[in-house]
Amino acid sequence: MLGKRSTVSLAVAGLLVAAGCGGDTEASEGGGGTLTLGAIVAPATFDPSGSEWGNRAPYYQAVFDTLLLAGSSGEIEPFLATDWSYNDDGTELTLTLREDVEFTDGSALTAEVVKQNLERFQTGDSPDAGYLAGVEEIEAVAEHTVEIRMAAPDPAFLNYLTRDAGLVASAESFDSPDIDTHPIGSGPYLLDPGATVTGTSYVYTRNPDYWNPDVQHYDELIIRVFEEPTAALNALRAGEANGVKLVNNDNLAEVEAAGWTIEANELDFHGLLLLDREGTMNEALGDVRVRQALNYAFDREAMLTALQDGNGNITTQVFPPASEAFDPELDSAYPYDPERARELLDEAGYADGLTLSMPTSAVLGSTTFTLVEQQLTDIGVTVEYTDPGSDYIAELLAPNFPLAYMALEQNPDWQLAQFMIAPSAVFNPFGAEDPAIDSFLERIQFGDEQEQAVAARELNAYLVEQAWFAPLYRVQGSYAVDPDTTVEMLPTNAYPSIYDIRPNS
Amino acid sequence: MFRFILRRLVAGAVLLFVITTVAYTLLYAGGGDIARRLLGQNATQEQVERRAADLGLDRPLWEQYADWLAGAASGDLGRSWFTGQLVATGVTSRLAVTLSLVLGATLIAAVLAVVLGVLAAVRGGWVDRFVQFFSVLGFAIPGFLIALGLVLVFAINLGLFRATGYVPLSSSVTGWLASVTLPVIALSISAIAAVAQQVRGSVLDALRRDYVRTLRSRGLSFRRVVYKHVLRNAGGPALSVLAVQFIGLLGGAVIVEQVFAIPGLGQLAVSATTAGDIPVVMGVVLASAIIVVAVNLAIDLLQAFLNPKVRLS
Repeated sequence: MLGKRSTVSLAVAGLLVAAGCGGDTEASEGGGGTLTLGAIVAPATFDPSGSEWGNRAPYYQAVFDTLLLAGSSGEIEPFLATDWSYNDDGTELTLTLREDVEFTDGSALTAEVVKQNLERFQTGDSPDAGYLAGVEEIEAVAEHTVEIRMAAPDPAFLNYLTRDAGLVASAESFDSPDIDTHPIGSGPYLLDPGATVTGTSYVYTRNPDYWNPDVQHYDELIIRVFEEPTAALNALRAGEANGVKLVNNDNLAEVEAAGWTIEANELDFHGLLLLDREGTMNEALGDVRVRQALNYAFDREAMLTALQDGNGNITTQVFPPASEAFDPELDSAYPYDPERARELLDEAGYADGLTLSMPTSAVLGSTTFTLVEQQLTDIGVTVEYTDPGSDYIAELLAPNFPLAYMALEQNPDWQLAQFMIAPSAVFNPFGAEDPAIDSFLERIQFGDEQEQAVAARELNAYLVEQAWFAPLYRVQGSYAVDPDTTVEMLPTNAYPSIYDIRPNS
Repeated sequence: MFRFILRRLVAGAVLLFVITTVAYTLLYAGGGDIARRLLGQNATQEQVERRAADLGLDRPLWEQYADWLAGAASGDLGRSWFTGQLVATGVTSRLAVTLSLVLGATLIAAVLAVVLGVLAAVRGGWVDRFVQFFSVLGFAIPGFLIALGLVLVFAINLGLFRATGYVPLSSSVTGWLASVTLPVIALSISAIAAVAQQVRGSVLDALRRDYVRTLRSRGLSFRRVVYKHVLRNAGGPALSVLAVQFIGLLGGAVIVEQVFAIPGLGQLAVSATTAGDIPVVMGVVLASAIIVVAVNLAIDLLQAFLNPKVRLS
């Protein structure tokens, strides 16, 4: 037994020794050495043809370059393509490529490689493959010139090339069986598959031959996945990361108390999607007065305070401030007026009440659904909730509900229209169509820049008046950086561009 | 002895079959539209349907399960639907992490629990009350609360250990210790409490037996009686409790790994289950089931070794 007892004391001593030298192991030193980022999700694959953007963007940006760059002012800037131009009717885009770009396997960037990348993305597994749906032909017209021909003009196309659709990988890596885990690009960093733990932490080293050292601010990059918000917060408070994307705005005070800075943008709007605008499932929603009544039902300020601690801005439009379609007046088109809401319901013939079936999910916060129900009850609307669990989006798009609460990304005008307004849009699952909207869309698609802007504004005003949605607020997206780091946020993406994360000097 | 082992192995195989069948069926019951979840909100309905067909999700359940079973029997667990990683690779790399946590916690629990349990039984008085008090406390406080408290004090305020992440033993010994110490402590506390109680009870029980009085009357010292005879008799039940604790710790690791962002089996299980990544979940289920069966077999063998009566029954 004496033996056992000394084992115990040895073990305890061992722990104390570990404690003494534990703190400084692998601590991230901001400012030149290692940049450690915290992300919410891991990428599904490193094959660009299966890639996604949003919160997954940094994984891809580290190893690949995009054809064009989304600047922090919302402008589209040159990147792998130094120049671009459309023909007169906007159906043919010519890209001029840089001539000094080499992939990390030594192969060169040519028009042919870009063509292959675009074609792979178009037919690949990416959820955004639809970005290139309108592309009919891609041709390498010269060593460094690509022509992209489309069936019809796509005003969002350049923007797509700043995202996953514009990622360019070495053509020689396409046949590799390891393409999902061993990316070969021309980006500022190289993935170290040996040090990477799939799904948990991704380790990159500096690309010594990178063509654009101006955006290469670190020698090493580590992106860690924090699935549990508590783990993200702990890592932040213990100084184990330099920049962390926060899942929500619940702990902003604690983050700031730890000496970190919060940078914000607004990307998503939260609110009701009044999907059954033609009243095919629930006749009532086909009546514009009912849809307007639903808009008057919400005390948006109170909802923002209750659900986001006031971090965001109330709105009744779906377009973001960065958009041409945006009109500040439309942020308050439907003030909180339950009286008016009841009047409208009365006029529409629902004085005796109305029942609406909606999906609910803990993912969007259970309080959200309680508050929505309470405010709708106040105007005489009964809500019947069904919980489809993790199939929330699938059920909503099936479409199995006439309306649903949702948080949706606010993209640039045309992209947003293709995402939630056009008859073929994913988030227009009933395929609702309106001749007025069709004509606005046509003017945006075929008009010149000025005409596009005017039409987008008119479209927005019409959508608000017709109450296609009942938006509540634009929520603040928060990104926390430690005192050694600065970041410039992008207005158009959930995660800032890795080029815009710098050591604080 | 050989037939004993053989019988247990067959029973283990049957158990594995039952567990995987039930798991597969349950996963599908809660599965729903997996392809939509895989592709996200931007994907079109056509893309979703194509992916579902690619994954074979449009086939009958029994056919998909038969395929999985045939693959598993030949050692092929398929690839993750979400990360494209081979399931076998993902599970084995993470198994090492989880086992180092769970084995560490079991070891600490075994040592500390025996010391505390024997002290409490033999000394009695305030020592006993002290041990009892802390056992109840260790039982009552949930593991994740202990984990959070440890992180707050030792990682965030004192900066002694890592708050998150895992450093492999092969890359740095001190780094590894800094990353596993807090999770192991958090995991081991409830196990220490449980096993210490069991040891205390068994030792007290053995001390009351006639043979102790006989041995004492022959002039053997109390120390010698306790260490040589009482402990051996009390060891069996303690070992069983320890085995149960080990298996329980596998479950406890799920939460601890989440809190500490450690890439273990538990974290893999949680992310794969929430995502609906069936090949990965099945890989985790299979690995855990094999561990449970193996531990039980090992314990049975140890018991048989300690106490010949077990072999006969």
